[in-house]
Amino acid sequence: MSNQRKRPNGEREEDDEEDDAEGIGQWERAYVDDRSWEALQEDESGLLRPIDTSAIYHAQYRRRLRMLSAAAAGTRIQKGLIRYLYIVIDFSRAAAETDFRPSRMAIMAKHVEAFIREFFDQNPLSQIGLVSIKNGIAHTLTDLGGSPESHIQALMGKLEAAGDSSLQNALELVHEHLNQIPSYGHREVLILYSALSTSDPGDIMETIQKCKKSRLRCSVIGLSAEMFICKHLCQETGGLYSVAVDEVHLKDLLLEHAPPPPAIAEFAISNLIKMGFPQRAAEGSMAICSCHKEVKIGAGYTCPRCKARVCELPTECTICGLTLVSSPHLARSYHHLFPIAPFDEVPTLSSSNDPRRKLGKSCFGCQQSLLGAGNKPGPCVTCRKCKHYFCLDCDIYIHESLHNCPGCESTHRPKSVSLLEE
Amino acid sequence: MEMEEGEGSTEEKYDVDIATTASSLGGSGVFHIINDILGFVLYMYQQIPSVLQDMSLDFDGLQTEFTDLEANLTQPDVKPLVRRKLLSRKREVKHEIKKMQKLMTTISTLRSALQLLIREAPGVQRVVLILGGSPLRPQKAYELFFTHSVDVLRFEGDFSKNKATEALSKKTIRALISTGAGSTSCPGPMRLFILVQAPPSLNLPQHFLPKRDFRYNRKFVPLKLRFKCKTQDNETNPPFNYDTNDLIWFQCRHLVNNTQASILAGNRSTLLSAPTPISPGFLSAVPISICLGHSTRGRRRKKMIFKIEDVTVYFPYDNIYPEQYEYMVELKRALDAKGHCLLEMPTGTGKTIALLSLITSYRLSRPDSPIKLVYCTRTVHEMEKTLGELKILHDYQVTHLGAQAKILALGLSSRKNLCVNPKVLAAENRDSVDAACRKRTASWVRALAAENPNVELCDYFESYEKAADNALLPPGVYTLEDLRAFGKNRGWCPYFLARHMVQFANVIVYSYQYLLDPKVAGIISKELQKESVIVFDEAHNIDNVCIEALSVSVRRVTLEGANRNLNKIRQEIDRFKATDAGRLRAEYNRLIEGLALRGDLSGTDQWLANPALPNDILKEAVPGNIRRAEHFVHVLRRLLQYLEGRLDTENVEKESPVSFVSSLNSQAGIEQKTLKFCYDRLHSLMMTLEITDTDEFLPIQTVCDFATLVGTYARGFSIIIEPYDERMPHIPDPILQLSCHDASLAIKPVFDRFQSVVITSGTLSPIDLYPRLLSFNPVVSRSFKMSMTRDCICPMVLTRGSDQLPVSTKFDMRSDPGVVRNYGKLLVEMVSVVPDGVVCFFVSYSYMDGIIATWNETGILKEITQQKLVFFETQDVVETTLALDNYRRACDCGRGAVFFSVARGKVAEGIDFDRHYGRLVVMFGVPFQYTLSKILLARLEYLRDTFQIKEGDFLTFDALRQAAQCVGRVIRSKADYGMMIFADKRYSRHDKRSKLPGWILSHLRDAHLNLSTDMAIHIAREFLRKMAQPYDKTGTMGRKTLLTQEDLEKMAETGVQDMVY
Repeated sequence: MSNQRKRPNGEREEDDEEDDAEGIGQWERAYVDDRSWEALQEDESGLLRPIDTSAIYHAQYRRRLRMLSAAAAGTRIQKGLIRYLYIVIDFSRAAAETDFRPSRMAIMAKHVEAFIREFFDQNPLSQIGLVSIKNGIAHTLTDLGGSPESHIQALMGKLEAAGDSSLQNALELVHEHLNQIPSYGHREVLILYSALSTSDPGDIMETIQKCKKSRLRCSVIGLSAEMFICKHLCQETGGLYSVAVDEVHLKDLLLEHAPPPPAIAEFAISNLIKMGFPQRAAEGSMAICSCHKEVKIGAGYTCPRCKARVCELPTECTICGLTLVSSPHLARSYHHLFPIAPFDEVPTLSSSNDPRRKLGKSCFGCQQSLLGAGNKPGPCVTCRKCKHYFCLDCDIYIHESLHNCPGCESTHRPKSVSLLEE
Repeated sequence: MEMEEGEGSTEEKYDVDIATTASSLGGSGVFHIINDILGFVLYMYQQIPSVLQDMSLDFDGLQTEFTDLEANLTQPDVKPLVRRKLLSRKREVKHEIKKMQKLMTTISTLRSALQLLIREAPGVQRVVLILGGSPLRPQKAYELFFTHSVDVLRFEGDFSKNKATEALSKKTIRALISTGAGSTSCPGPMRLFILVQAPPSLNLPQHFLPKRDFRYNRKFVPLKLRFKCKTQDNETNPPFNYDTNDLIWFQCRHLVNNTQASILAGNRSTLLSAPTPISPGFLSAVPISICLGHSTRGRRRKKMIFKIEDVTVYFPYDNIYPEQYEYMVELKRALDAKGHCLLEMPTGTGKTIALLSLITSYRLSRPDSPIKLVYCTRTVHEMEKTLGELKILHDYQVTHLGAQAKILALGLSSRKNLCVNPKVLAAENRDSVDAACRKRTASWVRALAAENPNVELCDYFESYEKAADNALLPPGVYTLEDLRAFGKNRGWCPYFLARHMVQFANVIVYSYQYLLDPKVAGIISKELQKESVIVFDEAHNIDNVCIEALSVSVRRVTLEGANRNLNKIRQEIDRFKATDAGRLRAEYNRLIEGLALRGDLSGTDQWLANPALPNDILKEAVPGNIRRAEHFVHVLRRLLQYLEGRLDTENVEKESPVSFVSSLNSQAGIEQKTLKFCYDRLHSLMMTLEITDTDEFLPIQTVCDFATLVGTYARGFSIIIEPYDERMPHIPDPILQLSCHDASLAIKPVFDRFQSVVITSGTLSPIDLYPRLLSFNPVVSRSFKMSMTRDCICPMVLTRGSDQLPVSTKFDMRSDPGVVRNYGKLLVEMVSVVPDGVVCFFVSYSYMDGIIATWNETGILKEITQQKLVFFETQDVVETTLALDNYRRACDCGRGAVFFSVARGKVAEGIDFDRHYGRLVVMFGVPFQYTLSKILLARLEYLRDTFQIKEGDFLTFDALRQAAQCVGRVIRSKADYGMMIFADKRYSRHDKRSKLPGWILSHLRDAHLNLSTDMAIHIAREFLRKMAQPYDKTGTMGRKTLLTQEDLEKMAETGVQDMVY
């Protein structure tokens, strides 16, 4: 009994110490640019180690994963693979603030660029458009399109912040644009909002209802604090609302929007879409491409319907309007439909007397030891199917990049192959 | 006995008419309809645990559980404790199985009997289903009529259900639900009888016995259903195409006995709470059985029962906060010790429900000594909220314990809130509603009305009077709304009914005044027994309430009004002298005998009680010099003249009651004893003169009130005469105040009379000062912290502005432009960092006006409006309400807003700025009272002399509790978050800071004690980002903030201290 009583107390003290250390670190960090020595702490033996924030990040990641899988479990998992996404970037006065360095604006632009690349990597069939808010007015930077380069160019070209911000104007503009796209496409808006208020010309609640009606999924990433109206908007339209703590977190939050969100079965109408799989033009053949109106030698694709030449895939044929893709693009979108189930966390307390736990002392993915400092068992996770143990880094890697569980692949392959053969 | 809702009184009228397209239902159709309705009726009136179709499933479930239990028990390594539990569960399950089996066999034999009947007599036309003790005295009855066309009276041979029949029975049940069947529950167990009308030739002695001349209680109206078949020729076919005389009733020998006792514990709670009617629309698309099944499953909720020492506590939620549990433990100890207690727990932690559930459970566990709970709230809104919580709790307790847990709980308020008479309600304020009511209900008015039919009376009151002792409220929880609805329904006056029921009620919820103000308490609360538990909720200002109850202020307007009143009284006296001199003489004689006897007054005439406390009233006869009406009027005239003379002073005067009385005696010739009786004498006189428009006579009442208090109390009071308001010295506005300094005077009788008094609030710090102020000895006084999953409040003390100079509202620094600018800069910076709503509190209206004017000149206000809209509190209530409304709208639509308000104002006390309506609250300065106020100085002096409380201590305490109240507005629940900035350098001093409530102090880090504006901005940024992240509501391993029943059981084993840190 006394043992039991002691343990929670001890834990609590540890918690408190951790909290304090973190708190002080944070407020002092706010005053200096980048004092790297403060991200260090002394361990028991007096050695300096970096502050271990991986556990926090991992906890956040797991929560996200759980949320996504819970949302998916509720409905039939159906994911919109053809997405039409507008990114709204708030370049109002607040974007010039320097709590993110060098400024919120620069950081936003930097990560949006990364996001656009990642987005097209994961959703080759989708399209993006850019909208900025400045002086209370929403401007279209680029129209919907599938080429990352043109978006990035347009974005980087106009980096200045001024005036108020207006959520309603931005929503109205995007709504106007997205209302015309065909029903098989998923309409989404991702708003990067740095201001803390919105000066609107009319009733924003009506606009929100309008967006809800036309199934516009609005997500907001705030840069400073939680705003009620943004939360309301996301709740109503089924989007995600999050607020970035720091730059790394902002990046994570942005990239979270790269994989397609689960579509609600009733809204997603299955449609047949006409697509063309153009052939790569022969080396050395010369033609005028329809996108740049330039003569190009080799390196191009020919539309199977109108035989026009385009430079890159995926795109829409400028002549006949056919969607042109290549088969790897389709294949890349496929894994979203069959995600790996989230791994279970292994409780650290009971691990010492679990015999099986003792066997798997190293991560099945990277083969590194799972024991933390001082031979204490570190945090780890286990796959529900194959029961292999993985470290936290591998967990993230498997779910976010690999999309295959190495444990399941290695043990179950013979079976699945034989099944296929049957 | 409850009446059925249907109004069909004649044979031709049917409550439910169902037409089918088929030419005949046929035998199987009739059977299935009867069968389905039978199941429905049984289910809806909670005689069987689930719909018939689901019952077999439940039965199977029980059987598997039984076998599982048996298997578990046979295992060798079962601990004795577990074994005992398993055994008892097994016994239960076995019992259930038996009962269920019995029920199912009954129903199946009933079915087969019906089938036999239909085989024998296919043209059955009337079937009656009766629920109740016996078929002659039914609780509910359903009469089914079937019309058949004559030619198809034959039976097809099988009882298989076809689609048409199924649709028909579904339609029937839907129709039944829409008539409201099943929306009322019948108390207690019942039996179900079936009777059919058939030709006398029917011979099924094993199943049906003839019952000639069957007829139920004459008053009873059954619900009638007719099934009309489409017949080509005789649409108007009467329901009986046999000669009615040929048919006789047969009663089925099988009856479904009540099975209520057999329902599983889990099921029972849901079934008994089933009175919510199922909406007909809900049933339209899905098959009926599935629907009913779902509706019960959805409502099945797990709630908590646990033990605190020897009391079993019923808690109507699934989880409990640790501090709630602690609170209950402390409260229980105080009740055990039969003493008073003082408990501080932050708002948003469910204080009210913890309190209610413990006290009601305590009552249940001590059935031999029933305690009464009197719950005092500050506002009507809080009263309704409390009663709402109590309702949930009560429902839960009743479902668990049955009828024995029933209590009567009601809210009591003024006539304005309870009256249902539209003519009375038309009056605009409280006093005129009271007067309008008296005009219709006073005893002499009613006596007059008996002779003269033109005199208007209140119908509600009349029928309440007629019902006399039968006018009782059935047990239950009544909010003010419920009381009004009940009164309207029965035609009884809810106000008088509630007042009458106060003596029977187990729980009474009303305003502080009903206990503390002797004028009201004497009438309402005198019948409460000693064993009551008195709760003062939100009691941080209780000392001020006590003081106000005994303080009177007289202005020039009052005196003028009093003079007018006296003239009117004079006229009345003259009129009576001319017409009815006997009355005045009778009064005189009564006064000789003693005025304390009021037994002859009826309830409606009690409207003025002595303003002094009951123990201080002399039980003597009225002195001779004011016994005669005209003498009394003369005395009052002299008193008024004297007061007028005193008001004409140029200087501020302060006097003790003793010297005031002696100078009154020497100058106006009125003795102390005469003064003392003023109020009672006036009351008696007005009664004699039959004056009903009491609101017009308020001024003279105030004067007499004053006189009586001055005459009665020599200590603890002082009389202060001010020729003008301190803040506006040019406008003469003389005021004479009798101010009470001793809060303990008014509350003393409450402490003396009742066994346990609980004083509780979110802010009672420092908790040791209250016992001294109110002079009582609490057996328990504790302050609880809030257990939180995250640090959701962020208090900061800001001592320096952006230029690093100190900021304060201290008198010498107040008007310093630097301080004003620094405050302005702070706000400008903050509004650019904080989203949605920001609330600012200033120390006074004048300071707020001044600072806003300066900000306006220096352009700070303009800078703020770029970020957020600005709203003000003013002294005008309507304006403030409008401002608040717009403030909320600005917060909702994302524009963001700032609200400027004043500590000690209306907003600071009663309005919540929770969630996005208040993410930040800034307290500019320390809200000290106006220290030059004469009343305050007198009170401070008294406190120092009597209670040895230093002036400074009291002032700081009072200022800090106001500040805590202000900043406490921002957080109303655990899911909420908010920042609090105390912007004054004085807050960093320990003597000030330590007086803040514990739940704020525990979040106030040392690093946040001495901040400048720029540091505060950084902290705010970090905090808001942290709070915007998603979080787990239940808390992590180390900090558990939601306890389940299992946690509590574990806690009971290991001891409380272990879980609660």
